Amino acid sequence: MLAAAACGAGRLLPGVRGGAGSSLLSSQLSWTIHFRGNHWQTSMLAFQESLPMRAEPRKKKKVDPRRDQAQKDRMKKKIKKMEKAAQEMIPIEDFVTPFKFLDASRVREISPLSFEENERRALLLKKWALYKQKEHEAEMETLKSLMAAQQEALEELRLESEELYQAAIRRDEDLFPFEKEGPSYTPQVPGYEAPEGKCIDITKVYTQ
Amino acid sequence: MARWRGALWSRGQMMAAPMQRALYGGAVRWRWALGPRWVSASAAPRWRLAGALCLQRPPSITQALSPEQEAMAQLAHQIEVEKSNFSDYEIRRLAEEEQLKKRKDNTYDDEADSGQAIVLAQDLEDAWEQKFQRFKAGPRITDADKRNDRTSLNRKLDRNLMLLVKEKVGNQELWLLPQAEWQAGETLRSTAERALATLSGNCIQAKFLGNAPCGLYKYKFPRALRTEGSVGAKIFFFKALLQSGDLLQAERREDYVWVSKGELGDYLKPDYLKQVNRFLMDQ
Repeated sequence: MLAAAACGAGRLLPGVRGGAGSSLLSSQLSWTIHFRGNHWQTSMLAFQESLPMRAEPRKKKKVDPRRDQAQKDRMKKKIKKMEKAAQEMIPIEDFVTPFKFLDASRVREISPLSFEENERRALLLKKWALYKQKEHEAEMETLKSLMAAQQEALEELRLESEELYQAAIRRDEDLFPFEKEGPSYTPQVPGYEAPEGKCIDITKVYTQ
Repeated sequence: MARWRGALWSRGQMMAAPMQRALYGGAVRWRWALGPRWVSASAAPRWRLAGALCLQRPPSITQALSPEQEAMAQLAHQIEVEKSNFSDYEIRRLAEEEQLKKRKDNTYDDEADSGQAIVLAQDLEDAWEQKFQRFKAGPRITDADKRNDRTSLNRKLDRNLMLLVKEKVGNQELWLLPQAEWQAGETLRSTAERALATLSGNCIQAKFLGNAPCGLYKYKFPRALRTEGSVGAKIFFFKALLQSGDLLQAERREDYVWVSKGELGDYLKPDYLKQVNRFLMDQ
């Protein structure tokens, strides 16, 4: 009978949750239960009544949601703290020279320029300054002429009819945003098929 | 009459005194710019209005650099190279050149290396050069350029091309920008749009640049044709950019040409040309 009770105890073991004594049950032989080393095994046969075995599977209704909520609050507090701390600036890639480019071995050796070359460069730069000045003046003249022509047209229109004038100076809503492809070096080839390939974007994206 | 007065008064208080004098002179329309002939008119002259269309095909290729620009571009490139450091590719090239030189001087020095298949920078460059040679770019000077076919849109791809049509005005055949007579109840811009529609029959898509006219041509009819209602005509020009379409599909039989600013002189009358040139950019 005692042996059967012991087998029963062994079979019941997996069903019992909680209670540190459950692992010791197998090691304790039932005939030693009178000299038990634990206070919860009050009766040999009534396993289900001893304290740890009476415990039901934990109810998840009240305690755990509160625990999850507490966890979330703690996370939010941490995030707020991090946000309050001074944010690290996003580095501008163009202004940061990578170290490998500052190597001495990379420096180009150029022989000093001859006198003629220097003279040629100086004269060319002067000519260029004059050329750009003329170009700028011509552009300004063209723009002035454009504006004067439009102004005159509007004045004449006003003299003709106030209503048409008001219609003419009204803002054109459809004009902007204005998009147009700029010119390229060679014209478009009709029916050109670009070679297939995959474009992998390796730009670094920073988040603050 | 009241309408004219209203127009004059609304020009601003600064002009109050001379305007009053002009009004006392018997409702005369006063404008300094037009000179004394307006002061002598007893009644306000009436002008016929027309809306004209300056349809431009924008350039699709860049203009060639002028000699000064070319020289400056080369100098800028030279200075940039001189001030730069070696790039990874250049270091690789230099290293490989040294290796080749070493191999020539001390022959069969590194037998282990020669066994490997190394892709030299020189080989890469040759491959790229070959690929570039195989690519056929579109010609910058097209067939239409060579034939000087002025009705074609493929000509002078680096310039703005404008549309000119030949129309019968009075008893003369004249080349001018496509225009239409203004009808009551429409704005001048819609007149220009109507001109485009009648000309092309919805083949052409154009983007009009704003509601305001960009220029004006004013002329008086010969004395025989002048009536009480019309002393002359005012033609208001509106700019538009050609987006797509062409006149080839249109049912228009009359002549038309697409010309650049320099060639306008071959077609337009001098006075008309002078006014039109004012609102065209130099090209």
